[in-house]
Parts: sequence; structure tokens; C-alpha cells
Amino acid sequence: MPTRTNWQLGRDIEYPYDAPPPQKQVAYIFDINKCIECQTCTIACKTCWTSAKGEETIFWNNVETKPYGGYPTTWDLKLLEQREPAQWQNGVLKTKTIFEDHGPLDSPTGHHPTPDDYSALNLGEDDITGTVEQGGHFSGVHPMWMFYLARICNHCDNPACVAACPRKAVYKRDEDGIVLIDQERCRGYQECVKACPYKKTFFNMISRTSEKCIGCYPRVEQGEVALCVESCIGKIRLHGFLSTQGEPQADNPLDYIVKIRQLALPLYPQFGTGPNVYYIPPVHVPDGFLGQLFGPNVEKAKAMYSTLKNDKELLGALLLFGATTRIVTKFKVNENEVIGWDVKGEEVARVPFTEHTYIRDHYDKRFDVYRHNTT
Amino acid sequence: MSNSQSSNISRRQFLFQTAATGASVALISQQTVSAMQLLSPVDIANPLSQYPNRDWEKTYRDLYHYDSSFTFLCAPNDTHNCLLRGFVKNGVVTRIAPTYGYQKATDLDGNQAGQRWDPRCCQKGLALVRRFYGDRRCKRPMVRKGFMEWVKSDFPRDENTGAVDQKYLQRGRDSWVAVSWDDAFEFAGKALTNIAQTYSGEAGKQRLLAQGYDPLMVDATKGAGTQTLKFRGGMPPLGMTRVFAQYREANAMALLDDKIRGKGEKESLGGRGFDNYSWHTDLPPGHPMVTGQQTNDFDLCNVEHANLLLVWGMNWITTKMPDSHWMTEARMKGTKVVVIAVEYSATSSKADEAIIVRPGTTPALALGIAQVLISEKLFDDAYVKANTDLPLLVRMDTGEMLRASDVFTDYKLATLKNSIVMIKAGEKGPPIHKQPALVLNEKQREDWGDFVIWDANKKQPVAINRDQVSKHFAQLGVNPELNGEFQVTLASGETITCRTVFDATKELLDSTYTPDKVAKLTWAPEAAIQGLARQIGANPEKTLFTVGMGPNQFFNNDLKDRAIFLVAALTRNLGKISGNVGSYAGNYRASFFNGLPQYIGEDPFNPELDPNKPAKLNKRWKAESVHYFNHGDTILRMGKTVLTGKTHIPTPTKAVHVSNSNSLIGNVKGHYDFVINVLSRVEFVAQNEWWWTASCEYADIVFAVDSWAELKYPDMSISVTNPFLYVFPATPLKRIHDTRSDNEVAAGICKAIGQATGDDRHEAYWHFMDNGQMRTYIQRVLDHSNVMRGYKIEDLEKKAAEGIPAIIQTRTYPKIGAWEQGNEDKPWYTKSGRLEFYREEPEFRDSGENMVIHREPIDSTFFEPNVIVATTHPLLKPKSPEDYGVSSSDISGDTRQARHVIKTVEEVLASVHPLNEIGHGFIFHTPKYRHGAHTTAVDTDIVAAWFGPFGDMLRRDKRMPFVTEAYIDINPMDAKALGVEDGDYVYVDADPHDRPFRKWQNNPEGYEVARLLVRARYYPGTPRGVTRMWHNMYSASFGTVKAQKTNSTGLAKSAETGYQSIFRGGSHQSCTRGWLKPTWMTDSLYVKGLLGQKMAQGFVPDVHCPTGAPREAYVKITKAEAGGLGGEGLWAPAAKGLRPTYERDSLKQFIAGQFISMLS
Repeated sequence: MPTRTNWQLGRDIEYPYDAPPPQKQVAYIFDINKCIECQTCTIACKTCWTSAKGEETIFWNNVETKPYGGYPTTWDLKLLEQREPAQWQNGVLKTKTIFEDHGPLDSPTGHHPTPDDYSALNLGEDDITGTVEQGGHFSGVHPMWMFYLARICNHCDNPACVAACPRKAVYKRDEDGIVLIDQERCRGYQECVKACPYKKTFFNMISRTSEKCIGCYPRVEQGEVALCVESCIGKIRLHGFLSTQGEPQADNPLDYIVKIRQLALPLYPQFGTGPNVYYIPPVHVPDGFLGQLFGPNVEKAKAMYSTLKNDKELLGALLLFGATTRIVTKFKVNENEVIGWDVKGEEVARVPFTEHTYIRDHYDKRFDVYRHNTT
Repeated sequence: MSNSQSSNISRRQFLFQTAATGASVALISQQTVSAMQLLSPVDIANPLSQYPNRDWEKTYRDLYHYDSSFTFLCAPNDTHNCLLRGFVKNGVVTRIAPTYGYQKATDLDGNQAGQRWDPRCCQKGLALVRRFYGDRRCKRPMVRKGFMEWVKSDFPRDENTGAVDQKYLQRGRDSWVAVSWDDAFEFAGKALTNIAQTYSGEAGKQRLLAQGYDPLMVDATKGAGTQTLKFRGGMPPLGMTRVFAQYREANAMALLDDKIRGKGEKESLGGRGFDNYSWHTDLPPGHPMVTGQQTNDFDLCNVEHANLLLVWGMNWITTKMPDSHWMTEARMKGTKVVVIAVEYSATSSKADEAIIVRPGTTPALALGIAQVLISEKLFDDAYVKANTDLPLLVRMDTGEMLRASDVFTDYKLATLKNSIVMIKAGEKGPPIHKQPALVLNEKQREDWGDFVIWDANKKQPVAINRDQVSKHFAQLGVNPELNGEFQVTLASGETITCRTVFDATKELLDSTYTPDKVAKLTWAPEAAIQGLARQIGANPEKTLFTVGMGPNQFFNNDLKDRAIFLVAALTRNLGKISGNVGSYAGNYRASFFNGLPQYIGEDPFNPELDPNKPAKLNKRWKAESVHYFNHGDTILRMGKTVLTGKTHIPTPTKAVHVSNSNSLIGNVKGHYDFVINVLSRVEFVAQNEWWWTASCEYADIVFAVDSWAELKYPDMSISVTNPFLYVFPATPLKRIHDTRSDNEVAAGICKAIGQATGDDRHEAYWHFMDNGQMRTYIQRVLDHSNVMRGYKIEDLEKKAAEGIPAIIQTRTYPKIGAWEQGNEDKPWYTKSGRLEFYREEPEFRDSGENMVIHREPIDSTFFEPNVIVATTHPLLKPKSPEDYGVSSSDISGDTRQARHVIKTVEEVLASVHPLNEIGHGFIFHTPKYRHGAHTTAVDTDIVAAWFGPFGDMLRRDKRMPFVTEAYIDINPMDAKALGVEDGDYVYVDADPHDRPFRKWQNNPEGYEVARLLVRARYYPGTPRGVTRMWHNMYSASFGTVKAQKTNSTGLAKSAETGYQSIFRGGSHQSCTRGWLKPTWMTDSLYVKGLLGQKMAQGFVPDVHCPTGAPREAYVKITKAEAGGLGGEGLWAPAAKGLRPTYERDSLKQFIAGQFISMLS
């Protein structure tokens, strides 16, 4: 089996195919500290892409409460149960990836959710890890906690769906790294459903094909962010591209936040797929739990987030989130604002660090009227 | 892995699958075509590097394609208002997106909003595509059969009482008939005319008395039958013309009265208009008691300026969703977020510090903080002396404020100059938009008088007038004593004892509200109380208090406001962008459109038909609070004493026309009592709706109106949490069904009355709407409003159509409540010009609330309800129950409302709720959640399925009323003690005396519908003793309970109306009821009027009137059915070990973080 470099694991991994990286890699940063689980992303996606018959339980995008929630139910727990706990040493994964558990001819380690797992969409909503007491009082890391995890397809570097498809109907686009299931070629074997550790491919009972998040490629092709990003009112999401040719670029907000500062971390990197949705870990949750999900750099990322007010460049990059419907490929932080440019080099964001204030005259001569705040 | 082998596998598997499912494959031509391809296989060597045929990608590009788009305004009652863009394909709106136009918004001076405002939308708004075309759309006018028979039989009535036979009033059980718009208007017009005639004059009064209405309420009609006709547009700022049309309609009823009684344009009376902000318990009633005006608040974006943000009883991230990022970004930039809540709320997950308190104890908690601030001298002495009434002297003999005229012989009232317009009594003064400041008449001035401080330097009393606040006070060079008791010789020669408000307050705080005692009352640990006080004290002008609906929905809500303001005033945290108090509930500030009288007060006898001239004003309608209607259509009497102020007295309600609201009927507190015992005395109920709600279930006529996407007339709205002025653009989308505008409905009904009474004046009253010139009415309001004047509706509409709102022209951007007081040394809208913490008026003294104290909740407490918590204090002398002729031992719900019994903290803690005797023991509260804006859009399937843990798009358990269902959150330990498993169905019963409805014992059919039957959800985030149910879901109706029994799928969807319940039985409102508190209903409190700068006294709708206590209930929980499929065994997720306290080992390991190890 070929080997590929997995920078998230600090080592090479085995994978059925090898290829040069795409020209650029679509990537997303989700700031969990800002997510409010409103499901606006879910509905933006659902109404556009999966509102047909057979897609009732297909949600390419969902937001779940951790640790009790997940859609489909136990998508991650069942995989964790099957495998030995991840071991990390100095940022290197010492344990196997899902591609390395078995022989070279076998599919990646996975599980096929049961129909019931597609039942309660928001099981565990807001459930915390311990019972609160009358008069509970705490600060810092919470003694009992929950957080919201927004999820879409990770458009992985080493997609398990690609690896598993017996018909080779799943592929990764060279121009942007988006992973797609060819809806004409797919025969609905559901090997991808079984293999995807994130359970972000879904079987459609009517079309009898498997479907997955398409990264909103009809929008990305026009330089527009995905619908789930455009509609994110928590402003938790930044959509862009990671550089794949050469070194990370400090003026590319994705490269800067993910690669250079390492504030945002991949989800379950230990599975080995090289996922491309990067999460800023929630500061109120214990490191141990978060390490399972986001790998060994959690503590550092949380510390960085807690001191953002003194970290203007990083803060500036974070204020680009939700500023524009255009994909920002380049940014710069000025004295009191951050500026972003799209792929055409047009300025698409100029975001003040603090919203302006204006004081108006009590008597507005122009219109012969008194202005009040208490009317 | 070799590539050829991979292909072989796929071919084998394909052939196998084809054989197994051959028939279905053959049906799918695409697959058949592809099967042909198999015969000459495409070789894909490496899908990671190269894919041969990508033409299929066109499929999703085609799906994404749209023909056109347009903008509309989504404006449920959630305070946000979002301009949304609808994408149209083949004439159908297929998806919706935010406009990203907020960052382009400008004001009249060209100032522009920043780029952080966008996007603004939510999941409910984006899912509206499934509602515009949904099966519960109101598609055409519908009339209830029994009502139509009553109309067609020419309104038969009981000869003696005039009452209507119940056979015509079978609301909720009757069938419905589709009618033409003309017929619907005719029925409504005739009914309103008949009802007005029936209850007019002496004969009308006698009929009302014979029907058992309170004589004071009957007197309040003044003989005008039109006064029994009630109109309500729900949160009318949400539709400046569309929703306020109800009040214009109310005014037009004066024409009907004129026809009936011939009283002419000066004496004819219109209908009554119901309140809104106060009806929804959004009004924080203590704000006007401290500041003299409706509410203090600020745009939520301000929080990034604060060092310390207290999110107090507000589930910000679920109810202020588009503004949540301001909080999380403030936190990112270093603002400390403290969340005070009765649970680990969703918002607690964003907290740097969190405190979990006992429900309904906010007054005690705030007083505890105040006690620490004072005892540790953390308060701002200079601010307190210059800006509050704390240094003013109170007479210990009368309990009233000492007046300068009491002390100084021949005292002459100061001539006021600081931000005031003095007028003679009876004079009108300047029009609203030209009022520079508070408008006060001489009579009011005399009534107010001037006040007195004790000057520490001169050791004598000194007169203080209301000009002398802030820097104007500092310039006086007096040094008021805060502490002490003083002997003051009056002008009469008598010597009396006086104390400062500060001194009297301090005694109360030190005796009752020390941290140790407050900790016992509130559950908040002493360290938390002290810590809060010290943090606030360390952050003057840098602490923002965002207070939510939680504490406001308790009976002690006015005390809560007064106590929180005390904390803010002690620490100089008012009127600053980074230091202020805000109350967040409801989108209420109609006064941003304070030129509204141009529309709702236009003279119906002389409508102005020249579009270039302003309307002539003649307001003939009167406002009243719905809370009386919700209180069994009665006022508050305690023994022989009437405790509803004269200025507040409602009239009997005989007809109701509602628009834009499900809160008057469908989601009303005590819903089942209301529909069974109260609505049965109402003769006509009309509802405008575009979606069939629970309110429609109990109406007589449902007028099907346009959805937001189909508005054919422009309209306007504002938001109290952001600085924008919104226009609803008229949209290009064709009406999907046979609907009309709300304006057209109001006009249609008026004209039908005109036809019934031969009165063409009704026609003229809606002249511009009929001529397609609705903009004329809008422009008149803009021109006469302080913060709108200068805008032209055509310009606003053009921008709105591009997705861009305008910026409201208040003094500041963003909006900062009390900015003028905080920055320009202007007096507050109070008698003293200061923030007032002592209320001298008799109603307050009689209630024991002249000083700020804590009262236990009226129902939601483990202890004796509604007692005043205090030790003996010389200024606390409330009227006892015996003073009213009622026994102190009577603790029944109705009596409790005016039961003023003082108990110490220790006595309270030793007492018990009277319902404990019959097994009650849980506080039950009903806050709002992310999946609905009240009930709006809560039952869109793809939204609803995410509401809570019980969603299931496929409804595997047939007991489920819908694709999700209601549940009660209960602490797992409490549930286990009751023998209730996670996911079991339970009955939840409140006080059987009055809930779910009075006399339920005699009405088994009603009881089955009304009794709350829901899933129990183990919720570790709620402390023991406290249960929670979300407010947002649609209640069970007679039709849905019947449907669950007769429909094979078990869906709770009325066969007659299509109404969809999310409850099997009852609703969260099965456990609530209407409550009236004496201090909400005074005749003596001065407050700024609703619109403009004029002072008023007593009742002012949405400012000083009842608010109710809809979050209060004390319940008993009983297991009904097992949660497993078909009522057998455990609910599946619990059985699988995936739920709190049922965790399987792997889930325990997962939570403990054991699926990872870090090697050194």
C-alpha cells in the first residue's frame, strides 16, 4: 500500500492511493467558542441541497452537543469503541489509523449506522456531563460542561470514502480538494457510509445512491463561501483554502490560523483521514476530553484563545469570520481593522475591531426635529 | 490494494444487488443506463489523482441555479428583524439566504454600520420556504359553522341577559366553512355592530351586569357598546401600519358608536386596544418605578465596550441568536462574561463565571450584592449623592418623601430649567417631534414639589429640586448626609423624624440581605455574592447588565428591576456605552414611531384626504391591559377593597379581533382556562393569520393574510436590540393563496360596518389604502417621529429591496439607554429627577414595597408564596389581610395576590408551599428556546426535528404527536426518586384549584385535552426541585387529541383544520395562570407617557400596568407511560446507555477523556 504524509499526525500513513495534493485544499475553521447550535447552517444546507424525497434524514450539515449528542447517533463512539485509544508522543501519532488496522485489501475500519441511528437528530441537546447543584458556582474550566460541534464533510486529504468505494465513484477534485460522490456512477453499496469516520456520507433510499456534502462547489467555483458559512450567524466559520504548494502563507487567513498559529485543530486526526475542518477548541472544557477529539495541541490552542486581546494579528484574522460572502484568500491587519481580499484581489472585507459610535445633535436643524434616545 | 481487484469487487457486488432488487433498479432509468456502462467498464486507476468524467457535476449546478431573487423582511416577535433574500425558481421560492446588506446601512448623515453586523437570519427564517407553501397556510377566509349560524339566525340572545347560547359557541369542536372575502367581512361587520348595539346604553349595562361582570368594569364602558369590542395587533412595532391597523380599526369604532348613540365626534367612543409589551410580560415594570420611563436598554453590540458583562436570567444564545456573536466576540476581546441563571443554560456554556440560583429570587440576590457594596464601601459616593434619591429625606411619620414646602415657610417651587418644557394644565404643548425634553404641566409640578436633603456641612435641611442632578448638583456645593436620622422642624412648627432613603435602605439590607442570608434564599454561595459585588464595584461605567425574560416573568418582577438598578446606581453603571442596565424581552419600542397618532389617532370623523397634509388627531379608542381578560375577565379585589386602580379598569370583553399574534389565545397563560371558561363569554373572535395556529382553533373567523414574502404594501418595523429601521418592501412574489393584507382586513371590516349601518365615513377612513397609497400613512408617521423624521418611505423601500436597512436616528449609534442622563446631566423622568429607590405612593406603602424588598414568588417557591422577606422595619407597614377583611390563613391563589405578610429569612425557610400537602414539589418554568420565536415557525418539520432529544423525522413511535414532541426537563435524581425513567411520559399538574382550568372536575373531555402529558427528559443541567419546559410549542387542542385517537399514524393533526400540536395533551400553559399585583396597577405613579416626552400618571399601556407572572407554577409529576416503543420498557437511547445516568462504559470513558493517551 502506498504511504502518504499526514502532517496532522507528524508521520506518514498507509493509504490505498497516492497522488500529489490538489492545487489548493478547501478548508474551514469553526470557532466552537462562538457556536450557538442554532442549526441555521443545517437549514441553509438542507433547503438547498437535500430537500427531496429520500433525503428526510440526510443532513450534510448538523450541529450536535458534545458529549451526549451526535448525528447519526454514536457516529464517533462506535468507532472509538472498536479501536485502541490514540497515543501521541511529541505531536506524533503512535497508534494506527483506520487505514492501518487491517490488511491492505480491507476497507478502512468503520461501522454502518443502524436505521435507528438516524432517528433522534438532536439527542443530547444541551446535556452536560454532571448534575448541577443548587447554587453551583464556577469559573474557568467548567466542572460539568457541554459544547456544540458543528459538522460537515471534512473534504479529507485521505478520504476514507474514496478509499472504500469499490466502484471508485468517489473522487477528490484537483482544483480545490473537494470530495464528491459521482451520482451517476454510484451504485449505493454504502461502503463509503461504513468507512467515513465522520458519517458524512448518507444513503438515499429513493435514488439508491450515497450522497454527501459537495462543499457547495457551484458557489466555490464563483468565489463564494458555502451556504453553511454564509448563513452562520454565530460567525463561527471561515471558509477558504489551505496552500498545498510550498510553505503556508502568513497572509492567507486559513494558513495563518491553522498551520502557522495552530489555533484551529482537526477533528479526530487519529483516524488518519486528514480532515479539513479545523476547530478552535472551547476554553471551558477539560483538555482530556478535547484531546480525544482534536489531538495533542488543545492546551496550547486554548491558552492562545484566552489571550487574544493581546494578539492583534490573530484577533484580526478571527474578525474576518462572517464578514463577507466572498472567500477571503488574503488578509492584513491595520491599526483598528482587518482587511480581506478575495481571489480576484478585490477588497471584500474591512472590519473594525470595535463597532463605530456616532453621537448626533440634540436638535437636528436640517429636519427641524429633536433627536432623543428616550422617545 | 490493487485497482483491478477493486473493480471486480464492485462489479460482483453490483450484480448481486441487481438480482436482489431488480425491480426497483429497473425503475430507475439512470441506473439502467449506468448498468450499460458496466459492459464496457471505465477504468479509474486512482480516484485521488484523476477522475475521468465529471460532467455529472452539472446536476448540482442546476439544482443551485435560480431565476430571480427578491428581498422580504422576516419579523416574528424575536426583536431582531431580518431582511432575507428569497431565491425563485419556476415561480417558487426554493431557498432563502441572508442579504449581507446590514453593513451597507447608513443614517441620514451618511454614517455607516460596520461589517460585523452580517449575516442576520436564523434557521426558522431560512425554513420559511416550507411555510409559505405549507399545508397549514391559511389559504382563504374561514368561518366557524356555529358562528355563521348565529349570524344567519340574526343574532339570537337570551331575553334577560343578552347572552349568546353556548350552542353557537362550540369553539375548538365545531367545523369550519370556507367563505368569500365579502361574506367574511359582512359577517364580521354585522357581528360587531350587533354586539355594540346590544351592550350600549342603560339596557346594555344591565345585560352586562346580568351576565355577572364586575360593576366597575361595566361602568367603564360609559354606556358605549363599542367599548366591549377589543382589538389587538401583536407587538405592533413589528408592523407599523399592518399590525397597528388594529388600533386604527379600534378608533373607527367611534363611528359605529356615533351611529348607535349619536354622541358626535367629541363624545363617541371607539373600541378598546389591548396592550402588548406588558401583556407579554416583556415590560420590566420596575424600570418606570426607578427611571420614570418605560424601559432602559441598549443595543446588544455595546457589550464589547464593557469589562464585565452580567448575563442575568437571559438565555442569550438561544433567544438573541443573530446578536450572540457580539457577546462571544466581546469575550474574545477580553470582556468577562458572568451568567446568572436557574440552570446550566445553553448560554452558561459561554460563561467565564456561572452561578446557578433559585428561580424567582433575583430581588434578593441583587439586594445581597447591594448590601456588600454598601457595607464594604464599594459604591460611588458622589454619583449616589448627585443622581439618586438615596440622600433625600423620608418622613418617618407618613412614609412619604419630605417636601421642601413641608419644611420651609412660604417655600416657592423652583422654576425648572434643566431639560424641561413647562406648560399650563390643559395645554397641549409642542407636537411630539418638536419636544426638546420632558413636558410637564403646572399641576403636575405642584404635585411633585421639591425635595430635601440634610446638608452635613450646615447640619440642616436643604431644598433640592429636580434640575439639580449630576454636575448641576455637584456645582451646588452641598454635602448631603447619606446616613442618619434627623429631627426636622416643619414650617408648621411640628418636629418630625426623617431619615435618608440610603439610611432606611441600609438598615433593611443589613438586617435581612446579608450575604449569608441571601445565600440561603437564593442558593448563590456567599462567596459568589461577595465576588459579584466586588467585581461590579471594581468596574464603574464598565459593567453591563443584560437582564432577560427569566426573572421578569415572576410576580416580584418590579422588585427585581428596582434592586438591579440599585446595584447599578451604587456603582455608576447607568447611561454609559460600557456601563448600563438593559432589559431584554420583546420588541416593544413603539415610541420610536412616536408619530404614530398620525395613523392610529387620526380623526375618523374628519380624515385628511390630502396626502401632503398631516392627519387631524382625535383618538377615540382607549387602551387596556389584557391581563384582566386573562384573569377571568375580572379586576383585583381583596375582600371589599378594589386593588385595580381607577385609571386601569377594563371593560367586559365581548368581541376580539387580533392580528399577528398567537399570544392572546393559543399560547396564553392559563390557555385552557381561557378558552374554556373565559372565551365562552366572548361573542365574536376574529383572527388574522397566515399559518393556522392554536388561536385559529378557537376563532370564529380566520382572515387569511399575506405571509411576509407576499406583502403587497410596504410597512416598517424597528428593533430594540439593534440600531436599524426596517422596511418591509412590497414583494414581487404573487400571492400563493387567496389572502389579503392585514390592512385590507381592518378596512374591510370597517367598511362592512359602514354598510350594515349606512355610514360611508368608514370608506373615507381607509382612503389611501384603497387607492394604493399606503405610503401616505407611513410618511406621515415618519415625519412626526423624533428618530425617523427626515426619511422618505420611497428611499427606505428601495434600499430594503436591496437587502439594506436604514439606521434609526436616535441621539447615538448604537442605541444607549439613558445616554442623555449618563452623559449630558439631564434629569431622569422622575419627580426628583433622580433614580428613585423609594416609592412613597400609597399603593406601594400598602403593599410593603415602598422600599425595595424581596418577595417570594407567588407560586414557584418551595416556601410560603409571595411573602415579604424582611425583619421589622419602621417604614414597612403594609396592609395586612385582615385590614382587607381577609384571613391571614387564606393562602389560595387569588388571595395570595394581595396578601402582604412579612416573614424573616429564617421564617420563610421554615415555611412550606401549601401544595406540598398534596404531593406537589417542583418549580416549573417555561422559558424560550432556540427552535421557535414564541410559537412562530416552531412546527416547520425540518426545524422541529432538531427541537430537543425526541425528534424523529420518521416518527417511529406512533405516540409522537409530530416529528418532535414536548418534554419536561427534570433533574435525573428527582426523576429517579419519582420512579420516572428518561423518556417516559408523565403528567404534570399545577394547582388543582384553578389549573388546567377551573371546574375541570366536571369536564372530562376538556380535562383530557388540557392535562399536560409529555416526555420526561433527564436533564442534568437543572438543579433538584426545578423543572423546565420550553415555551415555544403548539398546544394540544380538541382536534389534535381526537386525531391521535382516530388517525392511524397517531399524528396530532386536527382532521378538521390541519392544526398540528406538538403535545399529546395540554401544553406548558396548562400549568400557568393570570396574576395581578397591586403595584402594577397604581393610579399614583408618574411615568413618561408611551409616546413623546409628556408625563402621565397611573395607567399607561405597556409602561405602567400588569405584567402577570407566566413563569410561575408549582407542580406535581406523575408517571403516565413507559418511554420505550409502544409503551414498553426504556426509551431506546436510555436503553443503549447513551443518556445521562444511563451511560454505557464506553461513553463514561469518552466523557472522562480516556480514548487518548499522551506519552512523554
